Amino acid sequence: MRPQRFWWTFAAASVLAFAACTLPAAAQSPDHEAVRRGEYLFNAGGCFGCHTDVKGGGPPLAGGRPLHTPFGTFYGPNITPDPDHGIGRWTEADFIRAMRQGIRPDGAHYYPVFPYTSFTGMTDGDLRDLWAYLRSVPPVARPNRAHEVRFPFSLRPLLTVWKWLNFTPGPFSLDDTQPPDVNRGAYLVRAVAHCGECHTPRDALGGPDSSRLLAGTSDGPDGERVPNITPHPETGIGAWSTADLLDVLKLGMTPDGDFVGGSMGEVVRNTTSKLSDDDLRAVVAYLKSLPPVENRVARRQRTQE
Amino acid sequence: MTRVWFGLAAIAAVAVAGGFAVAEAQTGAAQQAAQQIAQRQDLMKANGRAMRTLTPIVRGEAAWNQQAAVQAATTLHNAARQIPASFPEGTGPNAGKTDALPSIWQNWADFQAKAKALETESAKLLELAKAGDEAGFKAQFPTVARTCGGCHENFRAKKN
Repeated sequence: MRPQRFWWTFAAASVLAFAACTLPAAAQSPDHEAVRRGEYLFNAGGCFGCHTDVKGGGPPLAGGRPLHTPFGTFYGPNITPDPDHGIGRWTEADFIRAMRQGIRPDGAHYYPVFPYTSFTGMTDGDLRDLWAYLRSVPPVARPNRAHEVRFPFSLRPLLTVWKWLNFTPGPFSLDDTQPPDVNRGAYLVRAVAHCGECHTPRDALGGPDSSRLLAGTSDGPDGERVPNITPHPETGIGAWSTADLLDVLKLGMTPDGDFVGGSMGEVVRNTTSKLSDDDLRAVVAYLKSLPPVENRVARRQRTQE
Repeated sequence: MTRVWFGLAAIAAVAVAGGFAVAEAQTGAAQQAAQQIAQRQDLMKANGRAMRTLTPIVRGEAAWNQQAAVQAATTLHNAARQIPASFPEGTGPNAGKTDALPSIWQNWADFQAKAKALETESAKLLELAKAGDEAGFKAQFPTVARTCGGCHENFRAKKN
């Protein structure tokens, strides 16, 4: 009987060992899953771009990247979990309020250069996953740089007025008359990836012109010309096939065999090339479903001419 | 007194001649820069044509065509090898009508590394084309394309 007892003991020990190895992992896995989903949303939201000073050699998400706008120069803040310079002392509720309402933990308003006007549409689940991911990145003790905002825009309380004019907080509402892929694309384009922040023209106070959604502007961030991405055949992307649109989002390649540069090159690298095929097809389906807006984005004069 | 006048005239003549020479040299340099810019624009246009040839093949909209694939990959590879030498200092936006950004010369090592990446990746593409490896070629194409975009992002002015 001895050998049998040995095998029983061995089997029991194996079960215990197996349980010891898997139980903590099982306990961690929902969190781990949230971080993984959060990382996808982090890429889809292009957070890296504004919160990392790539050109200045800054560490990921530690802030400092300048963004030049007609209202002044803004510097993306440190969003690593560093307690003093980053968002290490924030709660999940602070984060969700910032994303959904554009309000800092101390109650002040954010400038809409932080696109809470778009992020407000994100679902609670997605915001919590994104928060889980942001908690998981290494903290960096890099101080923030103050924005250089022109008067009178430098008066932060004026943002109350701006928000009253231009901001409707609350989750994105889906259009029941549209197929699921178009709705998924709308959620990605309008809420998470906030494409309209650059592609929708703005009025003199920097409010988005909702009647010309995604119709392009010659006065985009950093003075760049931003193309019309509504399906207008001559002035937009109406003549582009689905394959053309997928190529520009995945590879940055345009139908003439050229490659997008500047900030869209950055968006392709950080965001669109990292989206799943299904999500990219959803984005394309949504763009193709938009009302075409005729808006030829003016060619800017070259500075050296 | 006449000697003084002769002296002054001689100095003036030398100065004028010198001036012409400098102007000549400047025009020469400007012409050279303009020529360099035009040459590399032709190089990039050829790359664009190569990408336009390959895109429908890679997408499966056009039939696999080994000859066209070899030809286009050769164009890309040859261009990649010529990129660093095609951007000598002094051929930026101050020298003429070009979308090449001054950041090229401010980050020369990075620019060279990116050109080298295209050289390496297009060499692989060319080998696959020559071997008639259709699946391998189609799998390598996006890598080559991203290399193009990687350089345009920081070194080429956004298209106006």
